Amino acid sequence: MDRRRVLALAAAFTAAPAYLRAAEPIRLGLTPVFLDNDAEVIARLREAIGQGTGRPIDLIQRRTYQEVAGLLLEGGVDAAWLCGYPFLQHEAALSLVGVPVWQGAPLYRSCLIVAAEDDATGLADLEGGTHAFSDPDSNSGWLVTASDLARMGRRPETFFQRTLFTYGHRNVVRAVAGRLTRSGSVDGYVWEALARVEPDLTTRTKVIARSEQLGFPPFVARRERTEEAGVGALRAALLSLSATSQGREALDLLQLDGIIPGDLSLYDGIRQRMLDVAG
Amino acid sequence: MIRRIRLPLSLRVPLIAAGMMVLVGIVASQQVMAALGSVQEERLRELARLHVDGLTVALGPAVLRRDVWEVFDTLDRAKQAMAGQRLVLTVVADEEGRVIAASDPLRASVDSLIEPLGRGAQPVEAIRLTGEDPHVRVVSDLVFQGRTVGRILSELDVADLVAERHRVLLWLLAGNAAATLVLAVGGYLAVRRMLRPVADLAAHMDRVGGAPEAIPAHRIPEGDTELARLFQTFNTMTGAAAAKAEAERRLAERERFVSLGRLSSSLAHEINNPLGGLLNAADTIRTYADRPDVVRDSVDLLDRGLRHLRDVARATLEQNRLDRQGLPLRPEDFDDLKLLFAPETARLRQALTWQVDAPARTLAALPAAPVRQVALNLLLNASTAAAEGGSVDCTVSLCPEGLCLAVSDSGPGLSTDAQRRLLSDEAVPPGAGVGLRLVRDLVRGLDGRIDYARMADRCTVQVLLPVSGARHVKGPPHRAGRRRRDHGRLNRTAPAIGRGAGGLAEADATRGWGPAHATRTDRRRSL
Repeated sequence: MDRRRVLALAAAFTAAPAYLRAAEPIRLGLTPVFLDNDAEVIARLREAIGQGTGRPIDLIQRRTYQEVAGLLLEGGVDAAWLCGYPFLQHEAALSLVGVPVWQGAPLYRSCLIVAAEDDATGLADLEGGTHAFSDPDSNSGWLVTASDLARMGRRPETFFQRTLFTYGHRNVVRAVAGRLTRSGSVDGYVWEALARVEPDLTTRTKVIARSEQLGFPPFVARRERTEEAGVGALRAALLSLSATSQGREALDLLQLDGIIPGDLSLYDGIRQRMLDVAG
Repeated sequence: MIRRIRLPLSLRVPLIAAGMMVLVGIVASQQVMAALGSVQEERLRELARLHVDGLTVALGPAVLRRDVWEVFDTLDRAKQAMAGQRLVLTVVADEEGRVIAASDPLRASVDSLIEPLGRGAQPVEAIRLTGEDPHVRVVSDLVFQGRTVGRILSELDVADLVAERHRVLLWLLAGNAAATLVLAVGGYLAVRRMLRPVADLAAHMDRVGGAPEAIPAHRIPEGDTELARLFQTFNTMTGAAAAKAEAERRLAERERFVSLGRLSSSLAHEINNPLGGLLNAADTIRTYADRPDVVRDSVDLLDRGLRHLRDVARATLEQNRLDRQGLPLRPEDFDDLKLLFAPETARLRQALTWQVDAPARTLAALPAAPVRQVALNLLLNASTAAAEGGSVDCTVSLCPEGLCLAVSDSGPGLSTDAQRRLLSDEAVPPGAGVGLRLVRDLVRGLDGRIDYARMADRCTVQVLLPVSGARHVKGPPHRAGRRRRDHGRLNRTAPAIGRGAGGLAEADATRGWGPAHATRTDRRRSL
């Protein structure tokens, strides 16, 4: 064995751990709350982020925000796409990685929907009916309506005859469109995105009330891990999604403009509603 | 009033065969429809079973938790997956019957009772497709971990199955109707062909006015032993019937002689008695040949006696003439009858009332021979019944129905057997006489009617013989004799006889001729 070959082998052994580290996947937690099993969207998002980070991406889905938040807090995932409400619930432990921009702003609204033929014009008209929420930790899918009721001095469990959680904004639309419930609290971004891809579903419903602009569900990570390479690579990839063709394809499918760093003030409205509910 | 139409056997049997074919067609269609229904029900049962089993597995935990959304989500996705298929509605209820969720919440809202929807629902294992309802509801317990946690009610769309049954039914009806028509027509023709010999037989049985006619040998079917035997038997019967008819004809012929035979002794008197007077007259002429007045009287006596004998002989001959068929009835026929019959009443010392009051034109519408025979038989029968010293009435008159011949007597009346012979077609008991039955046959041959009545101490047999236009027949009635009662005593004979023997006897008595005359008169009385 000559010297060159020995040196090459030694270099290879030296470089191996770094290569292996680079191949370790980044685990991103998701809920089907607004992605709702859209396999193509998830695949494109994985590819775009993977390309941006140069690392494989594990998209780990759980049914509820609580489960994803739990995974994030216990280190089961490196980062997660959460709702603003659970983010603020665990604000002390979490920090923002990026905030999606929709229709030019990192903001969205919560919508109150009823069946297209329903005569109700506002929340007050829905008293005594059945109501679908998406998730007990969803801002648009629970907190907004609960806080509106709190401002009226009412609580969901007594204002409505029956409430149920569908664990998905699309499911809320399905519940109302299918007349399982009279009304539902749904993410305005999801409802409008559905209106484009599933108009047959949304046309059976109508929006009777919209909340003020609130902070868009952010990508978050544990505060102490924000400086880790993986989280850093993820942040960089997310923030540069709109700059790559794969990223734009994924954003187009998500009907988003891009992702920005954002700041906590975006979530002041949610914070206020949390206070209203806590009473 | 509905009149029953009696179809001939040769038409009835083929029609019954055709009807049987139609019945077979209906039964076959019914069987096919039942089989189709069974297949459809089995398919539906299988589908419902799979559906319920799948839902049971999928919904068990959610039902246990009463998770409305989970149940709805499962049902809704199942509905989407099976869009356009048979499942119309699925309702899941808890064990108390409260709806947890339904695939169509508008029809079964959350927390409502499943009971109204469950009315008429069938268990999965006993699904039956009946009626025209395009939907079938099935109900099943939802068993999870060995425990019944709820109920599943499903409404299945069976419109396609109902339509299929309709379609099959229509095809069956059309196909079976065509097949049945072919079979029925074929059966009709085949059976009709098979029964053609029977039709032939029937035709021969009633060929000429009910007289059976033997079937020619070449018309007897070959190879069919039953029918051949039937035809041969029929031919044998035809021969027997002809022989019987001939026997009856001869019997009727004999009856005339029989009736005359019964009168023979009386007639012998009618001939014998004047003979005594005639012989006396001959003796008188011989003894008093020189006395012209006596000779003239005796010759007159001889003349009257001989004329009487001639009348008796003529009446007897008339009664037995074989070539009298077709001669019309005349008033003189009743005169003959009286001439023949009166001596019988005289012999029995019976009172005879004789009245013939009918126009000659009416009488001429009837044949002489049967009417004479009918009257004579009835008179002889009445005379026999009245016994010695009784009375017999004979009345011939015109009535609305035609000619009425009434014969009555003072006898005890007709016995049951005699009435059966006279008034019915029942078989005559062996050994019985045929006179009354002959009367019945003759009257029936004249389309007449016989009535029998027993009133007080007399019985009357009345024969009504229809005469066409009887009501309109006008003309002077024939008076065969004024109504009078002639007692059977010798010195009070009937007028006809009076012209003969009676007249002779009367002449003998009035003229008070010698002992010889008296002797002959006594001899006649003794006879």
